[in-house]
Amino acid sequence: MKPVERERLDADVLIVGAGPAGLACALRLAQLIETNRDAAAAAGLSAENIYVLEKAREVGAHQLSGAILDPRALRELLPEFEQTAVAGVSDTPVSEDAVYFLTERRAWKFPVTPPPLRNHGHYVVSLNRLAKWLAERVEQAGINLFTQFAGAELIWNHTGIAGVLTEDKGLDKNGRPKPNYTPGYELRARVTVLAEGPRGSLTKTLVQRYGLDGVNPQVYGLGIKELWEVPAGRIRPGFVAHTMGWPLGTRLYGGGWIYGLQQNRVSLGLVVALEYPDPQFDPHAAFQKFKTHPFVRRLLEGGRLVRYGAKTLPYGGWYSMPRPYVDGGLIIGDSASLLNAQRLKGIHIGMKSGMLAAETIFEALCAGDTSAKALSVFQKKIEQSWIREELWPVRNFHQAFHGGLWSGLLHSALQMLTGGRGLRDPWRTRPGHEAYHRLDGQRSPTARFKGDGRLTFDRLTDVYHSGTRHEEDQPCHLIVADLNLCGTRCTIEYGNPCEYFCPAAVYEMTKERGERRLKINASNCVHCKTCDIMDPYEIITWVPPEGGGGPNYEGM
Amino acid sequence: MKIAVCVKQVPAKDAPLHIAPDGTWIRETDISFEMNEPDSYALEEALRLKEKHGGEVVAVSLGPERAKQTLKEALAKGADRGLHIADEEFYRLDPLTAARALARALEPERCDLVLTGLQSEDHGFGQTGVLLAELLGLPHATIIMSIEVQNETLRLKRELEAGWFQWLELPLPAVLTIQSGINKVRYATLKGIMAAKKKEIRTLLRTELLPSFELTQKLERIYVPQKTKKTEFLQGPPKEVAAKLLEKLKHEARVLGSS
Ligand SMILES: Cc1cc2nc3c(=O)[nH]c(=O)nc-3n(C[C@H](O)[C@H](O)[C@H](O)COP(=O)(O)OP(=O)(O)OC[C@H]3O[C@@H](n4cnc5c(N)ncnc54)[C@H](O)[C@@H]3O)c2cc1C
Repeated sequence: MKPVERERLDADVLIVGAGPAGLACALRLAQLIETNRDAAAAAGLSAENIYVLEKAREVGAHQLSGAILDPRALRELLPEFEQTAVAGVSDTPVSEDAVYFLTERRAWKFPVTPPPLRNHGHYVVSLNRLAKWLAERVEQAGINLFTQFAGAELIWNHTGIAGVLTEDKGLDKNGRPKPNYTPGYELRARVTVLAEGPRGSLTKTLVQRYGLDGVNPQVYGLGIKELWEVPAGRIRPGFVAHTMGWPLGTRLYGGGWIYGLQQNRVSLGLVVALEYPDPQFDPHAAFQKFKTHPFVRRLLEGGRLVRYGAKTLPYGGWYSMPRPYVDGGLIIGDSASLLNAQRLKGIHIGMKSGMLAAETIFEALCAGDTSAKALSVFQKKIEQSWIREELWPVRNFHQAFHGGLWSGLLHSALQMLTGGRGLRDPWRTRPGHEAYHRLDGQRSPTARFKGDGRLTFDRLTDVYHSGTRHEEDQPCHLIVADLNLCGTRCTIEYGNPCEYFCPAAVYEMTKERGERRLKINASNCVHCKTCDIMDPYEIITWVPPEGGGGPNYEGM
Repeated sequence: MKIAVCVKQVPAKDAPLHIAPDGTWIRETDISFEMNEPDSYALEEALRLKEKHGGEVVAVSLGPERAKQTLKEALAKGADRGLHIADEEFYRLDPLTAARALARALEPERCDLVLTGLQSEDHGFGQTGVLLAELLGLPHATIIMSIEVQNETLRLKRELEAGWFQWLELPLPAVLTIQSGINKVRYATLKGIMAAKKKEIRTLLRTELLPSFELTQKLERIYVPQKTKKTEFLQGPPKEVAAKLLEKLKHEARVLGSS
């Protein structure tokens, strides 16, 4: 085959992903160029030569979060935001915190809210809105922000990376060019920053190729969220509740959240660690069940679903942090495991990591040295910043819940007393899919959750409310290395977990002439990447589809 | 050739729609917006004509502030400049008033060709292009499937019902409403997006272009069609039941022709 002719563009800095981490990195770079004009001019740096790529149709469309914002990083980045722009950033300040333990019928309120879940001085936000607000500032600063373009492949140089190829557009489902075929660009940059969020598709190849894994492999949680509008008077704006226990019980790690927003809106959801033993566990159904608890039902009844979505988050913390630098490249935000699992917060840490990356890059470019050695300063900056102060004491937090909720709470109390060390340090983990128990043909497919259509929904109804859309005629972006395994070995050994873990009903086992075959409804994909994480044989690879495809998380 | 393309910003196709409290429009706060799909074909056609015959493509959008995003998209794909007719209460306008505002903005442009999509995906009136032609005093043709320009004359293919087409000729200048699927729409390129930043979007105020107007048409109420399910048992001997069933299928359910 003839090699594709690609147009080439050269940037100073290329940031892949316009989440809070990537946008904060871009904005901080623009600030540094602006305040150090002479140095920037001498090094030939300009804001126009900084590119940000985002695969979503517009910035924020793939942003889904709780979300409670700890404004620490945003205050450092844009000190005036609380005076001038709270309305653009925040829905409402947190007014009241509570933690509940749920049994099937009852809700027990913790007499005191544990300190890590206290949110006084924080804001309830829509990350979708926050990202849009930041993006406006990034564009005003002259940076080139390209939505509907994904980083599809890394451009390698012998010891690091030199940029990315963007995805080819206009290929049909067999990979043949359509009349509007547009080959991807060859985007080269002096420094490429991977800010892809959890389980980044480029980050994954980079970490694998150079063996950048930290002490532990990364482990993940899957968050399923719905945004509701409820009858007036049900919930105060700024009311923040977290729940433990039912429906997950005390063996599975995870919990629910309920946040009161302005205009009778409620953000609610359930996060489940992707390391559960039952391969037919269905996180979406668990969330639907959560809503039937009297405590939640009372709140929602008579209201209506506005949006739905699902996204993963990295739970591994400090010990799962990959080495975040290579020649010509940095990894920031969730992609670099920079999230506090104890506080369920990553926005502020992601942003701070982006700002530190920007400072590292600016110095490196001014010195004309973007080698791994020069960029390793980034790690030092993290270690000297409040990121380490926040993450180091909780380095064993998530691992402590390995034996369930009660022993987890004990261990984490012990860790709190010992500066995070606890009884085991470092506490090792395994990749989540290794937690599956084999079924060995002992179970047939379980009945699927249907929902009542008012309070609870099946997955297709929910996917409709995620605004997900893809060009239908394009190559499948969920690459299964061995389709023969699905209907044979996987059916027997694990009962096809893909049919259960996917919160968007992408994977479906069908019968064709008596043979079980996997059907992939790729157009439903909400880009959560659970399949890439939780398939038991690690044969599913998530790659970005044609830019612009995916969910539309307006207001999430 | 100077070509104007009218592009409207409409609720994104995937947006779960909810009706606003006053019952005459949808709630705009929860949804995002995009270029009306038929208009994106019109834009593509304009860009192709410009590539063939030279000239200029002016993208025009009547709508609130957010409609500028749609103009930017048009500029990124290759339109040369944008005209934004700003009106925050745009959704209240009927097609005649919208066409009047567009005509006022387009008159001084003296375009050779004005393209619009066949209809919008939100209101779906399908009248704006035709009314615009009338107000500009230009000939028009609708549901266009192909355009050829030969010395000041347009050779056009129109789609008719049941797989029929019509070929016709029109003199320039003219107004055409474009059928979806006439071409394969291009993707915006990185260079196009960068170049778009330097292109002009001029804003005109609808209140200045058209300070007063009287609506000729008013949306009384919009609602979601009621889904009804009805079960009825037909009883009697099979022959009779079959006859009754046929009757019902023809005249009540209307799924069979009644001839
Ligand atoms: C359910 C849930 C609840 C949460 N609640 C909170 C909370 O209350 N408070 C809090 O602080 N944090 C919370 N978090 C965590 C927080 O959302 C993340 O830590 C934060 O969003 C990470 O930012 P990021 O920029 O690193 O990645 P992301 O926000 O994931 O952004 C990455 C962006 O990159 C894009 N992208 C990815 N790959 C590519 C590619 N190859 N090419 C182009 N673009 C690409 C994606 O589309 C996305 O827009 C929550 C997370 C979840 C899932």
